[in-house]
Formats: sequence, C-alpha cells, structure tokens
Amino acid sequence: MFSFWYRPLLRTLLAGAALSALSFGCRGAQAADKTVLTLAYSETYVFDTEDFTKKWWGGIKTEFEKEHPDVTVQLEPINGGYDDIINKLSLLYRSPATAPDIAQMATPTVDQFASSGYLLPLDKYLATASWWKKFPPAIQSEGAWQGKTYSVNTGENDSQLYYNIPMFKKVGLPVPWQPKSWDDILNAARVIKAKLPGTVPLWILAGTGSGDNTLLMGFNNLLPGSDTPTIFDGKTQKWVVDSPGIREVLGFYHAVYSEHLGAALSDLFSTSGVTAPVFLIQKQKVAITFGSNFYGGNWSNTICTPCWPQAAQIAGVAPIPTMKGQAPGIATTIGGWDLVASATTKHPDLTWQLLDLMENEENQINAANWAGFVPGDADYVKSADFLNFAVPYNAVSAQVLPDGVIEPPNANYLIWSRGVQEATGALAQHPDTSVDAAVKIISDYVSNQLDPSQVETLK
Amino acid sequence: MTTDAQDRPDFLALVLLLPTILLLLILFVGPVAFAFYLGFTNIRLIGPTAVHFHLNGLVNLHHLYGDSLFWLSLKLTIVFLMVSAIFGVTVVGLALALLMQHAIAWLRAAVGAIVVVAWMLPPITAALVWYAFSTTGGTLSLLGGSQLDVLNTFPMTVVCLANIWSTAGFSMLVLSAGLRQVSSEVLEAGRMEGASRWRIFCSLTLPIIQPTIVTNILLVTLLSLANFSLIYIMTAGGPGNATDILPIYSYQQAFVFNKLGYGALLGDVVVIIATIFAYLYVRMSRSSRLTHA
Repeated sequence: MFSFWYRPLLRTLLAGAALSALSFGCRGAQAADKTVLTLAYSETYVFDTEDFTKKWWGGIKTEFEKEHPDVTVQLEPINGGYDDIINKLSLLYRSPATAPDIAQMATPTVDQFASSGYLLPLDKYLATASWWKKFPPAIQSEGAWQGKTYSVNTGENDSQLYYNIPMFKKVGLPVPWQPKSWDDILNAARVIKAKLPGTVPLWILAGTGSGDNTLLMGFNNLLPGSDTPTIFDGKTQKWVVDSPGIREVLGFYHAVYSEHLGAALSDLFSTSGVTAPVFLIQKQKVAITFGSNFYGGNWSNTICTPCWPQAAQIAGVAPIPTMKGQAPGIATTIGGWDLVASATTKHPDLTWQLLDLMENEENQINAANWAGFVPGDADYVKSADFLNFAVPYNAVSAQVLPDGVIEPPNANYLIWSRGVQEATGALAQHPDTSVDAAVKIISDYVSNQLDPSQVETLK
Repeated sequence: MTTDAQDRPDFLALVLLLPTILLLLILFVGPVAFAFYLGFTNIRLIGPTAVHFHLNGLVNLHHLYGDSLFWLSLKLTIVFLMVSAIFGVTVVGLALALLMQHAIAWLRAAVGAIVVVAWMLPPITAALVWYAFSTTGGTLSLLGGSQLDVLNTFPMTVVCLANIWSTAGFSMLVLSAGLRQVSSEVLEAGRMEGASRWRIFCSLTLPIIQPTIVTNILLVTLLSLANFSLIYIMTAGGPGNATDILPIYSYQQAFVFNKLGYGALLGDVVVIIATIFAYLYVRMSRSSRLTHA
C-alpha cells in the first residue's frame, strides 16, 4: 500500500538533499576564495540607536571591502546590555573557531581578556600609527597589561554638570554657572529646594540599579577631586575602603539625601537610571544633574532621543569642580569602548588594517557623534564636525577629557564598585544613615567578597 | 503481592525509554554534574584562569561558609519560596478555587480567563506590570500619594506578591480539580448532621483535598525557584541586597564579577534545594496515588 507514494517521495527527498549538499560545497569553495574577517560589536547598547549602529558598522564593512576586494567582513552584532556583551564575548573567545578577529570591548574589561590570553598585542602595529601618538597617556593606558598594549580606544565617556538656565535665573543663581567647589553645587541645590518646590534640585546616581554606572556617572567624578582619590593602592595591592576622600564623597551624598535634595528612589534605582536624566532634563523636572557627555548629542536633531531643539537655551553645562577648587580644578572619570584583536586571528596584518580604518578621523568622529562619545585623539576632539554636533555640550566634554581618570583595570574592581553602590544606595534610601555606617557598608562588603586582608584604610 | 513477571525488568520498556534517558543524561545530568565539578575549581569567565583553571579543593566551599551574603541570600530564597508557595497556594489559590465553585457561570468564565492569562504571561511582562504598579508614578502611588514607592520600601513583599499573582492561575486550576473530587454525598451528610459551612470546610473538604494542596505547594515552590527573571527585572536583587535570592546572587557572582567557579557552587546549592523539593513532591504524589487507588 505504501509503495505507491513513498518511493517517489523518498526519491524527491534524496535528490533535494544531494542538491543542497552540492550547493553548500559550491558555496564553500567560493567562500574559501575570500578571506573572512569577523567583527563583533554591541547591537543595541553602545550607539544611540540601532540605525546608527548599522550605519557605522555597515559603513566600515563597505569601506574595507572596497579597498580589499578579496576580503569579506562578517558583522557579528551582540544584543543586550553591558554585562551581556562582556559575557557573550567571553564565550566567543573560548574557542579560536568563534573568536572574532576584532571586537568592541568595554575599557575596564580589556585587562581581564588580555590576561586570559585571548588578545593580540598591538605594539608593533601601533608604532606605525600616526593617530596613536595623539592619544593622551591616560587613554593609551586603557589597553596596557604587563607592559604590552592590547586595545585602542574608540570613544570615551566623561562627566559634567547640567543645569536648568530658566530655573537658575528665576531663583537668582548666576548664569552661566561655573561652580568652583562641591559647596557651590550643594548651595545652588539648596536655593532651588527652598524656592522651587516640586523640582528635583540635584540628580546624582546612587544604589545598585545602574551597576558600575552609578560610579562612572556619580561617585567616581567626586573622588578624584577629594583629598584621597586612591581606589586601589598599587603599593600594598589592597582596596581602599576607608579614607578621607571616600568619607568626603559619602558626606556629599549624605548632604544631598538627608536634606532631600535628590531624586525619587524609583528613578534612581531603576535599571534605566543611566538614561533617565536625558528625559528628566528635557521635561525640566530636575535643576542640576551629574550627567554624561552623551546628553547633548541625544537632544540633537540627528539623534533625536529625545528631540530638543531648545536644549542649548535651557540646559547649561559646566565642568565638575574639585572639592575645594584645588588643582586641577576639574574632576571627571573616563571610561568607554576599545577595539581589540584576537590572539588567534589567522590574518593579523589584515586585522590591523581594519582596525586602523576604524580609527581614522571620519570614522572616529562619526562614532563620537552617533554613540555619544568623546574621541580619544587629541586632534579629532578639536574638529568642527565634533564640536558643532552638539553645541555647547561637546566643547565642555572635550575640555574635561584631559583631566579624566580611568577606573582601576583590576578584575576585582567591580566588587569594590558594588560596595560603593550599596553604600550610596543606603544613603539615598535611608537618609539618616551616617557616613560611618556607609563606610562600614563598603568595608564589610569588600572584606566579605574578597578577604579582610585585601582591604585597607588610608589616613 | 508482586508476581515473578513484575520482578523481571521489562526490556522493551527500557529500550523505549532509552531516548528519554539519553536526553536526560546529555541535557540534564551531564551539565549539572559539570556544574558541580566547576564549583570546586578556580575558573573565571575572563581572566588568567578562564582557560587554564584547575580544581582548588575546598577553597570555594570555605568561602561559601564564611560568606554572610550567601547566608542572607539563602534565607531570602527560603522566605520567597515559602511565602509564594504556602501563602500563594493555600490562601490565594484555594480562595479562588472555592469562590469559582459557587460563582455564576459568566463570572466564573471571566475570572477564570483573567487568572489564567496572568499565569500565562511571560515573566518579563509580569515583572513590568508589577514594576509599573508599585513604583513612583504607578497605580499604587496614584492612590496612595505621589511619592509612594512600595517596591523600594517593601521589596521582598512586592516580589512575593508578584510571584503569587503569576502562579495563582496554576494553583486555582489544580485546586479546582481537587475540589471536584470532594463528593457531594459527603458534604450532604455533613449538612444533615447540622455542621456549619466553615465546619464542613475544615473537617471534611480540607482533609480530602490535603494531598492536592501539598503537591501543589511543592510544584509552585519548584516553579518559583526557577523564576529568576521576575525578580531580576523588577529589582535586580536590590535595593542593596533586599531581594538577592540565590539564583540572582549566583548570576551576579558568575556573570558580573566573573567568578564562574563560585557562581557554579552557588548554583549547585540551588540544585540541591530543588532536588529536596522534587523528591518530596514525588513522594507525596506517589503516596496520594496509592491512597486513591
């Protein structure tokens, strides 16, 4: 009974299988003619919109394939947030078959990937790169591990203060505002609180909701301007969990939250705490913000998340001062994204040429404008294309970059960071928490996660 | 009572079960055993021991023992499971099932549909619904005052309620089926004896459906243990460590701090907890089958 229909069916299936095997074979032969370079990058987290992600990386692919017709650049976008990108890359690098030739990697993680043996040292190529020499030493050191350089920066984030010009004028605060000390910031917030109820006087991230960004956009912009900026003591190889500087910064947080100058917990602790101020400032709900350089670009008509043509008239920008205005007068943390090459790449020279292409002026300025970065190169950062993209914001971002401090490139840094996140979160949620109690939170957390012998107090 | 035929292994059954056994070994037993092995190594996700890792004896276990956050996390996990399961099943699920029994037809259909839809929602949707409900600017704050932030003030309560909300449909369905097993003659006999409705419920209905309740509690416990997404999306274990149940703490150690070995050990603890509850469930369902046979 079955023989009527199953034999022709079987024949068709076998023929189909044979045909597809043949075509795979053919495609395989064609693919073998072309060199393939794989490029892994964030699809949704780094650039301001997915369209710009496709535009920049697609542009790199097109440009490189035009110059090298025998090469195919295979794009491997990675979906997800900061942790997801690092996790995915760590899995891809486990096998040479899946390790991308070039990857976009967060600066604090470069040393760990390098110590895993996954990355190619770039020193011999960097010696020939004209743009490398124009990177400030702090930015060059992002890729350093055990005397060699394993990554090159492709865009930095730095921090500055944003303030609402109409609100300042209304309460009699000076415009343009140029705070010279932490007290200047607190006093301005106090005036706003007294005279403009219903407005959030001062936004500074606290808590664990935003992960390390709480420090990148908050705490770590005050610590370099304090009396003891040290996070990791290179001499003793210990983490500083108590110091005059840490107490000063926690004191600032304590003042903000105990005097109710800060934002609502729901906004601070939410997982979109990093981008919330972009909208809160545009809706004029907050007077002063510790913010990031990408805000200006977001408000521009090109990026439009959200569109705010009146931004320059309403949102002023100023560098973050040091505690008492002492040299260098400006404090900011810097951190961003770097490009790395795989240690197991089959085509190191070609890989370098692709990396070099990504670091040229046009591509770096496009990356800066479309992802909200400040270009690392000292010349690119002065270019009109960058400065005019978001006036007057990009100029201030460029101004503060040279004073930027990077986070310690150490595998256990995130543990110290988490301790600080919890301490600032406690200060925000329970404003009667004392600075002593907050310091204890950091100390207990880091000692518990690492070991009491790996922490120290600086006097 | 068993015959010789029942004592001899059924080889045909074994052969037919072989694909399932192989799948279980490859997809479950194998990875879990590997996770137990990794828990005693110094492997990191990235770092010098990412590729070249080795067993490091009881170092991780020693760290676990002294890790105050682990003990807090364990306590929070047990609180989450007990509240979600015991309270969720016995109060919410049972109440719904009882009320549905006596409801008019269209109300029963409507409520049943709503409750089941809530159960079917993916964890991320349930998390977002509850996040919107319980934070500043959400539904609760519209009623109780604009600065009201119930999620960050009572985080454990809110995530437990969210979990109960999303498993209530399942409990209701199972307990409704259990209630249908209570024969009307038994209830009629109770009424004829002059017992009040509450007395009938406590002395007749509850004992009869008790095995159903217990197995339901155990099942909801296992479902809740696997519900990483709900809490992770709502609070990510925060504020501070207030909702840092073991699955979240394990994720944090493995995938944020890159301490894959220690994270694996924490995951092993979760497996052990799940195994205990699963064993209890199998015991209960087997004994209830024997009772009803």
